[in-house]
Amino acid sequence: MPSAFRLFLTAASARTYPRVAWLFRSRSWIIQETLLPVLLVSAFAYSYRAMGAPAEYTGLVVLGAAMTTFWLNVLWGMGATVYWERDSGNLELYIMSPAPLMGILTGMALGGMTTTVVRAAVITVTGVLVFDVPLQPTSWWALAAVFSLTLAALYGLGMMFASLFLMWGREAWHMVSLLQEPIFLLTGTNFPVAAIFPKAVAAVACLIPLTAGMDAMRQVLFHTPGIFDVWGEASFLAVLSVVFFILARKLLWGIEQKARREGRLTVRWQ
Amino acid sequence: MTSFIQHLRTLRLAAWLGWQLETNWASPWLFALYMLVKPVCGSLMLVCMYYAARYATGGRVPAEFLPYLYISNACFGLVGTVMFGLSYGVVRDREHYRMLKYVYISPAHFQTYFVGRGLARATEGSVGAVLNIAVGLLLFADLRSQLGPAGIDWGWLVVYLSIGLAMLWACGMILAGACLNMTRNGMFLSEGVSGVVYLLSGVVFPLAVLPAWIQGISLALPTTYWLEGMRRALTGPVPESAPVLRGPLADWSNGELALALAATTAGLVIAAQLFWRWSERRAWRLGKLEENAGV
Repeated sequence: MPSAFRLFLTAASARTYPRVAWLFRSRSWIIQETLLPVLLVSAFAYSYRAMGAPAEYTGLVVLGAAMTTFWLNVLWGMGATVYWERDSGNLELYIMSPAPLMGILTGMALGGMTTTVVRAAVITVTGVLVFDVPLQPTSWWALAAVFSLTLAALYGLGMMFASLFLMWGREAWHMVSLLQEPIFLLTGTNFPVAAIFPKAVAAVACLIPLTAGMDAMRQVLFHTPGIFDVWGEASFLAVLSVVFFILARKLLWGIEQKARREGRLTVRWQ
Repeated sequence: MTSFIQHLRTLRLAAWLGWQLETNWASPWLFALYMLVKPVCGSLMLVCMYYAARYATGGRVPAEFLPYLYISNACFGLVGTVMFGLSYGVVRDREHYRMLKYVYISPAHFQTYFVGRGLARATEGSVGAVLNIAVGLLLFADLRSQLGPAGIDWGWLVVYLSIGLAMLWACGMILAGACLNMTRNGMFLSEGVSGVVYLLSGVVFPLAVLPAWIQGISLALPTTYWLEGMRRALTGPVPESAPVLRGPLADWSNGELALALAATTAGLVIAAQLFWRWSERRAWRLGKLEENAGV
């Protein structure tokens, strides 16, 4: 009888595997996962150039596009995946099996992170090289720490989304769609939040890990004015990571029970 | 005549089905909010970029840049919805609802069915674009000063809209035809084409910023002429006071622009018809109409 922890690890690694294996088996991702975001980056970069904005602003766009891939992965790869797993009939197998659902979600997150890191790296390198973005980080360690904390908080939030998607039917697709443009606006994907939004709005936007994470990374990389200082934002991201993970656990348990009672775990083609 | 009535019937029913699929997942109010929030937030992000650039340059970005960005982006919403709507109709009907083969064997005309599905998305896109522009007018004085009932060239607007719809339909049919023969990557194809068009048609920047060799490719795309025409019909020609916004089409008259748009659209329509027929036949012969990749 495996221990609960071992079962968790086995479930997590089993769910991580197909996502990582996908990197090597389906090479078409190279085009769809890298070329498409680079096209958008180019459009926004040319827009800033036309407006005569400083070169760092192109850097903001490149960093925004790279970090946006993680947000999209959280939405499509964590949240909507639960909806798709239900449609394909896998969700009922997950629930029936002894594997903890939290372990499966952790596997989704780890696998998603791995593939998205590759995607984000390609976007960043291409963007930096093509548009000659000036990078002068104050500290690579600070950058790595903020990046890791941002991912932890983002994927904690993704686990919360995943539980909500247990309740949603066909509207899931539209909800994911709705969580894109407004979030890109609020998090300042292509512009420095501190320069545009009032402090109160920017502070509220920091509840989305992408805002605080990108703002801190921009301060480190491009020395742009921040909402709070780098370490304040990093500490806040650490707190968010823990809170989101705990909330995801509670939410997942509660919503799974509700979905069982209402017979939503096996509903398809809504 | 009977055939024409059958086409119309297919068109009407497909448009109704498409509209139901797009809208009935939520209450009408929630759906209305969805239609408003998504395009408006996309445009507001460009507005924020504009103000960020003004902040960084000490206000040196010309005020005319804001209407340029806003109107272009609102019009481009139609490109995305129609092109994506038609091709996604194929993916959804085949993969999700598994109804494509039944549509094919029904008396409905296959191509007309997809035109109907695209029509539903075009309606959604048009309403979104109008709401988007209305919000822009309400919020930004720079936009109000350039765009108003007196300033709109209604005649040319109708011309550009009419030719533009034919162009979008042709683009959509090419993508839908390609999707018929693709399995996993069908969804990404329209996104990819949409991204290429967004960059090459100069939606958020004047074409003059692009390297010269890319400008040549841009001028071969009908969307470039359409967006320039739509901008000009809604906000008038680019003023001399904003030289940064003057691209290679700035000195063209409306007639020349409409002619270039009509000529490139005619080429596109012919290509779309040939490609659709070939794709439909190929998909039928290879059993792609019921091939399910589980995407």
